[in-house]
Amino acid sequence: MTTTIGLEIHVQLATQTKMFCGCSTAFGDEPNTHICPVCLGLPGALPTLNAQAVRLAVRIATALGCTVHEVSEFSRKNYFYPDLPKSYQITQFDRPIATGGSLPIVTERGARSVRLTRAHIEEDAGKSIHAADITLGGETLVDFNRCGMPLVEIVTEPDMQSGDEAYEFLRNLRRLVRWLGVSSGDMEKGAMRCDVNVSVSPNPAKLGTKVEVKNLNSFRSVKRAIDYEEQRQAQCIADGTPIMMESRHFDEVQGTTTAMRSKEASNDYRYFPEPDLPLLQLDPTELESMRAQMPELPWEMQSRFERDLGLSPYDAALLTEERSTAEFFQQTIALYDNPKKLASYMGTEVARLLNERGKTLAETQLTPATLAGLLTMVENNAISNTASKDVLPLLVDTGTTPMEAVRSLGLEQVSDTSAIEGFAREVIAENVTQVEQFRSGKEAVLGFLVGQLMKKSKGKANPKLAGDTLRRLLK
Amino acid sequence: MSSELPRTLEQYRHAVRAHELSAEEYLGETRQLIERGDPQVKAFLHLRLDAARSDARAADPTSPLAGAPIAVKDNIMMAGERCTCGSRILEHYVAPYSATVVQSLLAAGAVVPGKTNLDEFAMGSSTENSAFFPTHNPADLSRVPGGSSGGSTAAVAAGFALGAIGSDTGGSVRQPAAFCGVVGFKPTYGLVSRYGLVAFGSSLDCIGPIARSVRDTAIMMNVMAAHDPRDATSVERPHVDFEATLQPTLAGKRVGIIRELQEFDVQPEIAVAMETTRKAAVSGGASIVEVSVPHILSALPVYYIIAPAECSANLGRFDGVRYGLHEDGRDMTETYSKTRNTGFGTEVKRRILIGAFVLSAGYYDAYYKKAASVRQLITDELEAVFQSVDVLLTPTTPTTAFKLGAVTDPLEMYKADVFTIPANLAGVPAISFPAGKDAAGLPIGLQLMGPRWSDAELLSCANVLFTALGGES
Amino acid sequence: MAMIINKETLEHVASLARLEITPEEEGPLLGDLERILGYVAQLSSVDTSAIVSKRPAMTELRPDEPSEGLTREAGLGGAPAMRDGFVVVRNVMGGEDE
Ligand SMILES: [Mg+2]
Ligand SMILES: [Zn+2]
Repeated sequence: MTTTIGLEIHVQLATQTKMFCGCSTAFGDEPNTHICPVCLGLPGALPTLNAQAVRLAVRIATALGCTVHEVSEFSRKNYFYPDLPKSYQITQFDRPIATGGSLPIVTERGARSVRLTRAHIEEDAGKSIHAADITLGGETLVDFNRCGMPLVEIVTEPDMQSGDEAYEFLRNLRRLVRWLGVSSGDMEKGAMRCDVNVSVSPNPAKLGTKVEVKNLNSFRSVKRAIDYEEQRQAQCIADGTPIMMESRHFDEVQGTTTAMRSKEASNDYRYFPEPDLPLLQLDPTELESMRAQMPELPWEMQSRFERDLGLSPYDAALLTEERSTAEFFQQTIALYDNPKKLASYMGTEVARLLNERGKTLAETQLTPATLAGLLTMVENNAISNTASKDVLPLLVDTGTTPMEAVRSLGLEQVSDTSAIEGFAREVIAENVTQVEQFRSGKEAVLGFLVGQLMKKSKGKANPKLAGDTLRRLLK
Repeated sequence: MSSELPRTLEQYRHAVRAHELSAEEYLGETRQLIERGDPQVKAFLHLRLDAARSDARAADPTSPLAGAPIAVKDNIMMAGERCTCGSRILEHYVAPYSATVVQSLLAAGAVVPGKTNLDEFAMGSSTENSAFFPTHNPADLSRVPGGSSGGSTAAVAAGFALGAIGSDTGGSVRQPAAFCGVVGFKPTYGLVSRYGLVAFGSSLDCIGPIARSVRDTAIMMNVMAAHDPRDATSVERPHVDFEATLQPTLAGKRVGIIRELQEFDVQPEIAVAMETTRKAAVSGGASIVEVSVPHILSALPVYYIIAPAECSANLGRFDGVRYGLHEDGRDMTETYSKTRNTGFGTEVKRRILIGAFVLSAGYYDAYYKKAASVRQLITDELEAVFQSVDVLLTPTTPTTAFKLGAVTDPLEMYKADVFTIPANLAGVPAISFPAGKDAAGLPIGLQLMGPRWSDAELLSCANVLFTALGGES
Repeated sequence: MAMIINKETLEHVASLARLEITPEEEGPLLGDLERILGYVAQLSSVDTSAIVSKRPAMTELRPDEPSEGLTREAGLGGAPAMRDGFVVVRNVMGGEDE
């Protein structure tokens, strides 16, 4: 059995106002409070295209390596639904803003790239809340705040073969849109929604029947829905029951999919060019400068960290999840030239603290300079690694310099020989038996004696120096 | 005030500025005419005469329109007023905002006496398709005023307003202007904002002025023509003063006559009027050139594919969910169809069905796509012709006003638009001006078309012919 | 000559447009549509092979700045049914997609 998967992802663009009107895109406000004649489809109202939505769409398309078309066209997609006020959605059909492109993913099948069919801009519909009990013919509540939100729809080629690959694709796409500031990528808030096309076939050479599962609103749901469809369709094939070409709905609770009620005649969308919007023409020089200003993409930076800085794939991925983290890391290695140590310190100590504080790096007082300073002090034995764990919270919370922090905590490491010799003599005097054992050749006892010395120095003594001094005095 | 009431917007404005007349006094006179005459003419769907009086009292006599009564077709939004589009489905709909053009008119000192009757959603050529009542032609109450802006043209013809605005998708300003003996102008597509005009055929719809003289339409255009950021099809143009650019002659102008249209049968008196007007053009200094627009007669079939296609989408919003008529059904599908069946009249349903058909899977290419190409072809042919002529002269209608109920066959009714439709398909400006009367004393209208953005020159040419034929200069 | 539109097509198109055709309407409507569609079908004889569409392009886009909208009352005051600020309609769960 081979499974073939294609995705259609709606990404909500991070604009101030809706696609075709000046209403706010703020999420979570009282129902029907961001409405106007345009997004309510009142008679006589006309759409005007949001320039920033176009910019963001071009930005994501460029990053995905799509061909961005200088001329694209809007069309009307006609169907009746209570949350679609005009009875048509303004979208792009014959002439989308971008075609082609791809997104790299890494799965158990190794590093691969998923080809994209197209990316087009369109408006969102309103939000329908369906009363629990359908069978008793309940009600649907409609909120038009979401109606007209700017979306870019990204359609992939059927290049994925498992739920894990689809999951990876979405994870990487989400990382990209956040990296570029094109979208919050927040699926819980509907800023990213996904339809999947799954077809299972006994014959690898030919595709099976395409089944669509609609409106999945979490990465996990996408994976679960695909996994379920995979086994359901495989079962159908085994039982010889035909697989219907249909749209199915994913039940979050049951983890199953069910066929949607037949869509009457509504699948004949009668697309035609939107007469209210002339063609969208993009300035080639602007497109070029957008291409030029494109930042290093997360997966590019990730592989550079592995290749040039010798970071583990794990650390590299962790550091390139958020652009702010990656930039913090890069600014820090400019001041502290030990990428591996920095990476693991950020991945452990810093990460733990951020978790405790429930903050992002940007929200704390920690700066590349202070973190680099701290790690340098450890490197120079100015403080011990253990002590640095007590210093870090001060840097994170108060923003003091490592120097001040260390001083205020009295954690300077003692490397002055005379002081350590003093401790050493006391230890030798107080531990006669162990001294005898060492002299009679029991090397291991030295560790115990060093421990004693450290205790006397309240942990401030430089452990290596302590060992050497004891060894010398016991000769 | 002077015993003789001003008969044009220009005379009115002069009288008001000369303090011979006040806006309030004139509105009082207008009110009497309306109260006496409108029960027979039925030009208005709703009147707002009391509100209009206080508007007139407040009007600035130095403003461009100086408190003149201007009627508004009831498919154009005026905040706080009903906007029914002549349809049951919007019978009680109150506009929550004003169309850009209405805002401009009010800002320029217009006083709106009421909203005028129309064929439902502007679909028709007689105003008989109004869901509420037909309007009668002031020149002969047994006849139609034309349509779809029949209420606006009848109001101007009957003296219920000095001017009016209508919408013109296939001739809906020009054809009724011809039937009622007034001037009706369809500007270049994109010159006047469509924001607030209830869409019928979005790529064809234009708001245009209706008045008793060409000069008056120019005065109104000075107020109406403006780029509107709320309408993406509205175009920024250098400012023109349409009134100041009116010239006294046609010297050096080349007037084209379209060969293919001469094959089309028109009422004999209209053919005569064409002849008279040709002569007037020549004596006005123009030369007459016969030109060919090979596919101009394909304009009618093109229109009856494009307009219904666009209307089938534009009228989908009337679904009983957010506003307007609502008829409850067992489920949404039934609620939709009950609401729309009760709310829409026969002609509107017919056009929605044609539109849905020509866009539906399997027919799109043969109908919609083909029509779009032929539309481009006709546009190209007209553009080519305007290389060799400045304006084209045609009849506005094949016949003068017909009797109410006389034309029942939809296809016959559609053919009344044969001369006016090409201008909408090509987006070019076109004006209908009175050019005499037929044997029965019914007004005859002729049409001038010009290239895109030649609106000022077109009005100038029309003004010369109009005055030469005895119209108010 | 073959009919352009038959009963079934009419019903399909009517359901697309959310219009129901009463039995009384059907006959005359079919006749009218057949004649109108037959009339406009004459375009098939026009050679359009060389025609290139010349749709204009937008001259300006809207800056991404919030503007005054409508209050719920002004925008939805005429809605047949409202509850808790929502517009209420008959349940459409599992109906047409979005
Ligand atoms: Mg979509
Ligand atoms: Zn809005």
